[in-house]
Amino acid sequence: MRLTIVVMMWGLLFCLSSASASEFFDLPPLPPAEEYGNILINRTSTKNGVKPATFSHWQHRIKYTCRVCHSELEFNMKVNTTEITEFANRKGKYCGACHNGKTAFRHNGNCDKCHNGDITYGKQKFDIFSKLPFARTSYGDGINWVESLKLGVISPAHYVKTKSQDLPFDKMLILDSEMNIIPPSIFPHKAHTAWLDCDSCHPDVFNIKKKTTKFFSMSYILKGQFCGVCHINVAFPMNDCKRCHPGIKE
Amino acid sequence: MKKMFFVIVLFAGMAGVTFAQVGVKKKRVPPYEFGKVTINNYSEKVGLKPVQFDHWVHRSKYTCRLCHMDIGFSMKAGETQLKAADNMRGYFCGTCHNGKMVYGDRVVFKACSKEFTKEEVKRCERCHLSAPNPKKEAEFEKFAEKMPKERYGNGINWEQAEVLGLIKPIDFIEGVSIKKAPLATQKDFALTSKIEGIPDIIFSHKKHTIWNGCEVCHPEIFIGMKKGADKYTMVDLFQGKYCGVCHDTVAFPQTDCQRCHTKPV
Repeated sequence: MRLTIVVMMWGLLFCLSSASASEFFDLPPLPPAEEYGNILINRTSTKNGVKPATFSHWQHRIKYTCRVCHSELEFNMKVNTTEITEFANRKGKYCGACHNGKTAFRHNGNCDKCHNGDITYGKQKFDIFSKLPFARTSYGDGINWVESLKLGVISPAHYVKTKSQDLPFDKMLILDSEMNIIPPSIFPHKAHTAWLDCDSCHPDVFNIKKKTTKFFSMSYILKGQFCGVCHINVAFPMNDCKRCHPGIKE
Repeated sequence: MKKMFFVIVLFAGMAGVTFAQVGVKKKRVPPYEFGKVTINNYSEKVGLKPVQFDHWVHRSKYTCRLCHMDIGFSMKAGETQLKAADNMRGYFCGTCHNGKMVYGDRVVFKACSKEFTKEEVKRCERCHLSAPNPKKEAEFEKFAEKMPKERYGNGINWEQAEVLGLIKPIDFIEGVSIKKAPLATQKDFALTSKIEGIPDIIFSHKKHTIWNGCEVCHPEIFIGMKKGADKYTMVDLFQGKYCGVCHDTVAFPQTDCQRCHTKPV
């Protein structure tokens, strides 16, 4: 019987371990604001003797919503999984949908603008945020994109070629925390649908089954699952506890 | 008793592990590959490469109904269990791929044969493919260029393509299909959404019957005798039931929410 209790305790500990870790979350270190959301794309670059392509999310986010690239232009949500090739780009796919010399700089003579292997590339442009009345936060790239969009500082495009109809959905979810002392987190659909399409999250990232929200624990999110698909690397990082758990006291 | 607790704890742990694999975005199938079916019931067992079937080539020329009803292909990949002998006798692929049928100004290539010369191996490789064929991909690109665009699936709005007359899918093969008097199509109707704030679905029979007639969907997928007889949710659909039988695999994927949920709230 004693063994049973030990096993039960161990089980309980196992269940709580992810929760208790929330006090000492191992959050990934944040890069400087102007590098947050920057990535180096190197699926085949180095193999083919060119430097990895640099990509800055904030530079693109000013002009385009996430859905443009991640739904319409078919970029996957994980770096190096999209088969971007020079051939495809030159045919007007992926980057080439805009980087064609008409909408944005073209391929010819501009190799170094992307293939420079420099993750900090374009940081001098970051002062655009101080020139315009952007709403601010203290984490990530320091920009409150949702608020800035609401204020009309930016009006990012919803599509580039193939028009899509927006599906506004305004349901606010309130998700109970794993620990009693942590106030519930909120999820506003509207703030997300302003940038994303339903399919960006459903049904891959969040299946739409009832009662599955209880599984969205911080330990999974920190591994890049669920909210962590975006809220570690591009969207505001999880250091900003209060943005999701507004009841947390300083 | 002790064992039982241990098993429960172990299961709880395992559930955690299995769940850990979800919650990420899946890789998207490129437009060229969307609707591709690999048929390998017997191929590899007899030393051939599996058959790669592209829906897009066929649907640009024929209706869905023609293969899935008149010719008798199952709606599930690998379920038809066709053999080379069937094709040689003029069933399944062999209905058209017999070396005699003419489409436009071209003779449709012959599918399988018992004896073949070395040069003819190339013909086998048109279906029994080992690696992705760049020639086929280029053919797709060339075709897709002229078609109305869509954001998902093949990147082609097939429905529009048919409406605009860019494609004229054939619905009848002499000796296989039966001439029937067309049924009057029902008017479009709304399917109410279960969640407040999500626009209702406007379902159009007309758009579906061009490709499918009645028989592809009724009565097997949708009983459809009485309105409201089938109860389903998006969860079922995403699991490949009901609309999900075609939409996600061949027809535009269900992630294109706004294609169906069109009624203004």
